Amino acid sequence: MLLYATRRFGLALLILIVAVTVMFLMIRAVPGDPVQIMLGPRATPELQARLTAELALDQPIWKQLLIFYGNLMQGDLGIDVFSGRSVTEIVFQQLPHTLWLILGSITWSATLGIALGAYAAAHPNTLIDRITAAISVSFVAAPAFVVALLSLLIFAVHLQWFPAIGAGEGFWGRLNHLVLPAFAIGLSWVGYIARLVRASMLEVMGESHIRTARAFGIHERRVVMVYALRIAILPVVTVIGVGMGFLLSSAVFAEIVFARPGLGKLVIDSITTRNYPIVMGSVLISTGLFVVSTALADLINAWLDPRARNAN
Amino acid sequence: MKIEWTKTAVGRRGFLKGATALGAAAALPMGLGGRAMAAEGGTLRVRSYGDMQSIDPAFSKGVIDEEIHASIYNKLIQYKPGREWDWQMDAAAMIEQGDETHINFALRDDIGFTNGFGAMTAEDVKFSFERIVDEATDSPNKPDMGPLSHVEVTSEREGTIVLKEPFAPLWSIALPYITGNIVSKKAWEAASGKATTDPLAESGPYLRDSWSPKEKTVLKRNPDWKGEAPAWDTIEILPIDDENTAEIAFEAGELDFTRVSLGSVERYRAGVPNGGTLLEYPSLYYAWLGMNLDHPKLQNKKLRQAIQHAIDVPSVLEAAYFGAVEPSTGIIAPGLAGHRPQSLVPPQADFAKAAELLAESGETNVTVKLDTLNKTTFTTAAQVIQATLAQIGITVEVNVLESGAFWASADNEDLQLVLNRYSMTPDPYYATSWFTTEQVGHWNWEQFSNDEFDKIHAEASQLTDLAKRDEMYRRAQDLMEESGAYRFLTHEATPVIHSAGVVPALRPDGLALLRYFGKA
Repeated sequence: MLLYATRRFGLALLILIVAVTVMFLMIRAVPGDPVQIMLGPRATPELQARLTAELALDQPIWKQLLIFYGNLMQGDLGIDVFSGRSVTEIVFQQLPHTLWLILGSITWSATLGIALGAYAAAHPNTLIDRITAAISVSFVAAPAFVVALLSLLIFAVHLQWFPAIGAGEGFWGRLNHLVLPAFAIGLSWVGYIARLVRASMLEVMGESHIRTARAFGIHERRVVMVYALRIAILPVVTVIGVGMGFLLSSAVFAEIVFARPGLGKLVIDSITTRNYPIVMGSVLISTGLFVVSTALADLINAWLDPRARNAN
Repeated sequence: MKIEWTKTAVGRRGFLKGATALGAAAALPMGLGGRAMAAEGGTLRVRSYGDMQSIDPAFSKGVIDEEIHASIYNKLIQYKPGREWDWQMDAAAMIEQGDETHINFALRDDIGFTNGFGAMTAEDVKFSFERIVDEATDSPNKPDMGPLSHVEVTSEREGTIVLKEPFAPLWSIALPYITGNIVSKKAWEAASGKATTDPLAESGPYLRDSWSPKEKTVLKRNPDWKGEAPAWDTIEILPIDDENTAEIAFEAGELDFTRVSLGSVERYRAGVPNGGTLLEYPSLYYAWLGMNLDHPKLQNKKLRQAIQHAIDVPSVLEAAYFGAVEPSTGIIAPGLAGHRPQSLVPPQADFAKAAELLAESGETNVTVKLDTLNKTTFTTAAQVIQATLAQIGITVEVNVLESGAFWASADNEDLQLVLNRYSMTPDPYYATSWFTTEQVGHWNWEQFSNDEFDKIHAEASQLTDLAKRDEMYRRAQDLMEESGAYRFLTHEATPVIHSAGVVPALRPDGLALLRYFGKA
């Protein structure tokens, strides 16, 4: 297991380096002078020249990349050229908001999705199963931005049950502000996870150890919930791990629609303004999150099911 | 270190019961009726379209920062809320133009800085103004101070602003806007001249209480403020870049004041939710279609004139701006010196005349590229222009660009037609500054170069005679239009909505002057 974990995290690190390098090259390939955009039209040529040198934009790209990695090794993500604040400080100020959002979305969507999927698998080809299937497919098909806007109009404007904008203060305040955005970006995951659990469980239910459990006279509910679901849930762990990346991208528009602070919005704002240090800092952290969550999902899978690590 | 994991004795039934109870408990107090509405408890909640960048006026990035600066600092003079551009006293007890290059002032004696930095003195004014123009500061806002030479301190609270040459925008931009904010010399020197996002010392009617990046800036009443008491105990400024989100937040009762999208104006004209009010202000922005005079395809003046006459401005505005804006007559907005009552080319298209000019040009099978930003407003406008020019046989290829690529157009040698929009401050000098010969290769993308225009730009800013300035700037816009390189479209508009309990204080272009906001 230790060897497997070492290999898996080694691969994660390699992926991270490739992803960040590609992003570094891509952001510099985008047309437009970042210094001009940062400073606006009224900046003097001297000021533009100074900032260009400060950001090392007058250097060849390979040298800029080396400088970036050199600074990174020292834990320095650079300085935001607009506010003069540390990029690390800015990124880590926004990160918790996005993590809250992602965790909230995963928690409710996985709980409901697993319950729906398990129930449908336990009652295959019944009316309940068909209704569950219809609900699941509808959820998967519902575009998150439509859900976000509709939920805003219904639950914030019309019913006024939940706040429309911001991230709130204090634990309850933050939880309250989390409800609608987490609902919006988690809804399609409910359907996806439900379909996945149903299919996986139906497959598991046909396996020999389930037949054996039934032969021993174990109660059907226990067979389903303990013996079948425990194995059927394994693909969900992987999906959630990979889903972190998708949820990060969903978080971008959720943060815009709900005017929430967060990493996604920070990245978009920074790309628009060619704020290189912030873009690279945010990309590094979000890519790191994605890579680590995927690796963790693999490790959990390998821990739960030794066949997975032996296959690797 | 050994970490021991212990099992929690929670069974499935127990877990389900607990989770259900927790869910119910979480939902009830939060979601159902636990939300404070805007404008309650003396708190005003306003939307800003972006987040604060710097607390230092020398590095302010524009109106977003200025909304905060104008509330926590003082200037000698501030803009006067209303429909006409005017100013009123702020930190100045007296201010007068001594001669064309000398402005004498006396400060009020009851303004002090926080954090123990003492009373506001003429030394603070000198420090604040001179550091903006000091090469060592590298302030991007330096041009707003124009030809400022220095400030002479004549007594503790009196001084004279000395200019190298006359500069009319001193009264419309330099003093009442970003560069006019007076900071504490002692505080800035104690911080080695640097301030980023935390105030070093404040003096205005409000103090910045807190700042949660990308989330909220909170201003609280300054207990030591001796001037007219501000109406609100607290002002919360919420950065919301999406106008639709802001409108929903207003309708949900979470905002008291916000700019709204032009597409929503018609809906709000029929009624604003929660007893609110819609106010429509003209904007200072100017949008136009430019033609690159240096491009081989556009060197024929008759062709350019044909394009000018073939563009139907009302149709463009109806489609792109939902009919909520007026056609512009140039780059200088109504209410400012130099605004032209009408343009040389009427806003309505004259296809017969356009076809005639095209025939006179001798050009056939004309195909031109139109660059535009990837914003719905501009792409829609570009499509209408494409359709109208097709009526005289000119084919337009619309080239939609992302903002970074678009704003790099100064380097684009293949630039032909371009839909553009610049912002400005309330002085005509700011508008003409981008179209001088000096700006060719920078912000003058049409490569327009005219000696008379350059002369007007250089001389009109030094005139204190308003009538003469007005005449000169009108002539400058005539020259632009006569070149055939410009088809002026609109100054856009600033529609805002406010809740019933708020009396907004706005500049004539609809921007908020928060310190003067009142209660209904």
